Amino acid sequence: MLLVQALINGFLVGALYSCVAVGFSLVWGVSNIINLSHGIFVILGAYITFWLFTFFHIDPFLTIPVSAAALFILGFLVQKYLLNYVVGLSQRSGMGVFMSLILTFGLARVLENLMMGIWSGDWRTVTTNYTGLSLMIGGISIPYIRIAVFFIAIISAWLLSIFLNRTRTGMAIRAITFSIDGAQIVGIDLALIFSITFAIGAALAGIAGALVSLIYSFSPFLSTPYLSWAFVIVVIGGLGSIFGAITGGILLGVIESLATVYVGPGYQQAIGFIILVFLLVVRPQGLFGKQFLK
Amino acid sequence: MIMKGKWRFYGIIGLFLLILIIFPFMSNKYWIRILTTIFMYTTLAQATNILMGFAGLVPFGNVVFFGMGAYLTGILMVDFGFSFFPALLFGGVACFVFASIIGYPILKLKGHYFAIATMGVSEAIKQIATNTQITRGGMGFNLPLIPLKIEVAYFFFYFLMFCAMVMVTLASYWISKNRIGYALRAIMSNEEGAKSLGINTAYYKLIAWGISAFFTGIAGGIFAYWYAYIDPPSVFDIGIAVRFIIMLLLGGAGTIIGPFLGAFFIELLTETIWSKFLFLHLGVLGAIIILVVIFMPKGFLWFYRQGFSLSALLENVRKGKL
Repeated sequence: MLLVQALINGFLVGALYSCVAVGFSLVWGVSNIINLSHGIFVILGAYITFWLFTFFHIDPFLTIPVSAAALFILGFLVQKYLLNYVVGLSQRSGMGVFMSLILTFGLARVLENLMMGIWSGDWRTVTTNYTGLSLMIGGISIPYIRIAVFFIAIISAWLLSIFLNRTRTGMAIRAITFSIDGAQIVGIDLALIFSITFAIGAALAGIAGALVSLIYSFSPFLSTPYLSWAFVIVVIGGLGSIFGAITGGILLGVIESLATVYVGPGYQQAIGFIILVFLLVVRPQGLFGKQFLK
Repeated sequence: MIMKGKWRFYGIIGLFLLILIIFPFMSNKYWIRILTTIFMYTTLAQATNILMGFAGLVPFGNVVFFGMGAYLTGILMVDFGFSFFPALLFGGVACFVFASIIGYPILKLKGHYFAIATMGVSEAIKQIATNTQITRGGMGFNLPLIPLKIEVAYFFFYFLMFCAMVMVTLASYWISKNRIGYALRAIMSNEEGAKSLGINTAYYKLIAWGISAFFTGIAGGIFAYWYAYIDPPSVFDIGIAVRFIIMLLLGGAGTIIGPFLGAFFIELLTETIWSKFLFLHLGVLGAIIILVVIFMPKGFLWFYRQGFSLSALLENVRKGKL
């Protein structure tokens, strides 16, 4: 019974993990930027939901578009006015590759500090009047919120996949992953597409943040776990792959959940990182091979 | 003429070291402590320089050796009855060995992937250290206090860190003039090319990372004895790694003086900001990082060689822009 409960918990929470990872994976796969501020974007999304809920009593699920839109704008501006000034360098020299890594780290510290300055470092949670309710099936309890979170996470990944495959902008994004030079030859504005890609990545972080606020406590200093999930999942699922991110997320969720039950809660993250290092060495293209943006 | 320039250079360095030696005798504890911290960061930045500056590999998780050095020194002193110096040395050597073992698979990775793998190792070891008995878990670990008067202890750690800094700088200088340095620079500019010339790239990278790990571990060990209390979140903090990588970038990676410039600048600056605006200091550090990466990605020394010209900075922005 414990096993079934752990499997279901891991499976449902895994979808949230993938929602955190999809945006991160997309940005990394398309513009070769490892966005170390992704975790802080998630926290920002969570705060937006929290404040809308606390002050205007808007249902947290209805605030998801607001979080997504706010983060979309922030992401667009960050790429346009900061990151676009270093990615040119990173494509020309070897050392420059790390500039985006370090720049986003700096950005994360700035945002973290601003949030702490304005909203303090207190731990927050969104508690609605349906928070504790769960579906009981033969001794196994499944919280309604987690079911909803699961479906929203899957639907956002599905919408992203439709966007990438059916719209002109989406196809331009995919074209860049195949060949940057080729994309430029056919007249794709690289700077604009990079900005849109980063904005979409940030918007997905915003959605994930809104979902996080419903399940976990958060504070400006709790952004690292989300970033590390994203890393592990991208390495499991392969770079820039949406399908890989979803399966990787669910796999990680299940593994972590089983590890909590059978090894001990403290080792939950260690196991994730050991998988990460092991896979990087053994199979750096991810478990499912290269499947860019399918 | 060249000799003259060279002698002047040696003169400046000698004077600088002399000032640092005299400094604690005419200063107060506050400044001794700050200088000791700066020496520690210089040591860490210089140790990272050996791998990052010469071979172009960014060990994002190098802080794992800092933590391991700290914990090994502590555990050997408390549980195995070692005295400080043998424990410190053993900790450093253990880091060298550990780097060689994990380096064998990990150093095959390129670019981003290497950085992430080291980060993964670092986080995994941190989680393990938080949960095992031998490290006393998340409770933190208490080291024996140094049996000296407080004033003398300040001097002791000041000069100990100073020695560590000088040693790592000499090691880095020796490597840069040595076969290893040339091999590493060849790897940085073109690894496949270096291989085709018959350079055993895996071996040289391993050596470089091992030496880097050794000195990082030594710095960690001194830190542990100095603070007398360590816990996993503070000694395995990725933030420390990023801090010394930033210092290295700011000063100039691949140069011998770069780490000094970076560490002195960033530490003194954060100390000033920290004492004035407690809440903002991390944010300001973040802002500095952003500005450095955009305007001065090749560091202070590069800026100096350009004669501090602002147009060179703008040229950098133009070059980096997509």
